[in-house]
Amino acid sequence: MAPLREAAPLTIMTFTGFIGDVCMLPLRAIIAVCVRWRIHPNVLTFIGVLINVAAAWALAARRFVLAGVVMVVANIFDFIDGKVARELQMESPFGGFWDSVMDRFSDISLFIGLIYLYSNMRRTDYVMIAALAMMFAILTSYTRARAESIVEKCKVGFMERPERIVLFMIGAFTNRMGAVLWVILVLSILTVADRIYFTWRELNARTKPTIA
Amino acid sequence: MNRSPLTVPLRAIWNALYWTHERATWQYDVMVIAILAFVWLTPPDWLRDPTASGTGPIAWLIHLFR
Repeated sequence: MAPLREAAPLTIMTFTGFIGDVCMLPLRAIIAVCVRWRIHPNVLTFIGVLINVAAAWALAARRFVLAGVVMVVANIFDFIDGKVARELQMESPFGGFWDSVMDRFSDISLFIGLIYLYSNMRRTDYVMIAALAMMFAILTSYTRARAESIVEKCKVGFMERPERIVLFMIGAFTNRMGAVLWVILVLSILTVADRIYFTWRELNARTKPTIA
Repeated sequence: MNRSPLTVPLRAIWNALYWTHERATWQYDVMVIAILAFVWLTPPDWLRDPTASGTGPIAWLIHLFR
């Protein structure tokens, strides 16, 4: 009798995976150019931040489509810096630190752009929504960083930086920034809660005595 | 095992709230579709969006079938 062959695991291409793969095609070319020119990854990170500040200005000026285009350019730099560092074997602890600090700077800039816009429009409700979304967006990364100093990994929760950035772009290009801010706010609160719960559970499991 | 009919929907709600799924999984796709539906289909008036224009497809459909 022929031996039973183990069934190969079925891999299904998800639509978000497909979009990711499509976006990677031009990015690979940009990464190759940066590697050839040996551009320092920390410089790429900094250029990304400067462009993000321009996006924040465009948001503040209510020029949403321009802001969307500038955000796309800024986040190309933001996305490729780590990959270029790996290719050039320039990964360093300072590079990781610099990258995450600059990410917070970019995030806060975009929120401040929107807060400026809504305060100019005398819309205190949306000033508050944008401010709270900013607070929980920062807490999202803080809870993970703090948790990972006491537990091994804390990657629970949906609303991380890439999701936030893509939502900002969708809001800018389709002129639905209000709905996007609500989504960012609610899902960032949930993400922070998930991370607190996960860390509490991990620490609790660790301190429980084992029965021999 | 005697399972309550509420087990599956409650579990789905818990899994959506306590998110542990990776990107590019079917659960991630479902979440993305739900978010995009909310962003694009909710009429901006309902959220009192100060910058959005137009009523959005849901309000348009309600108007069409009224």
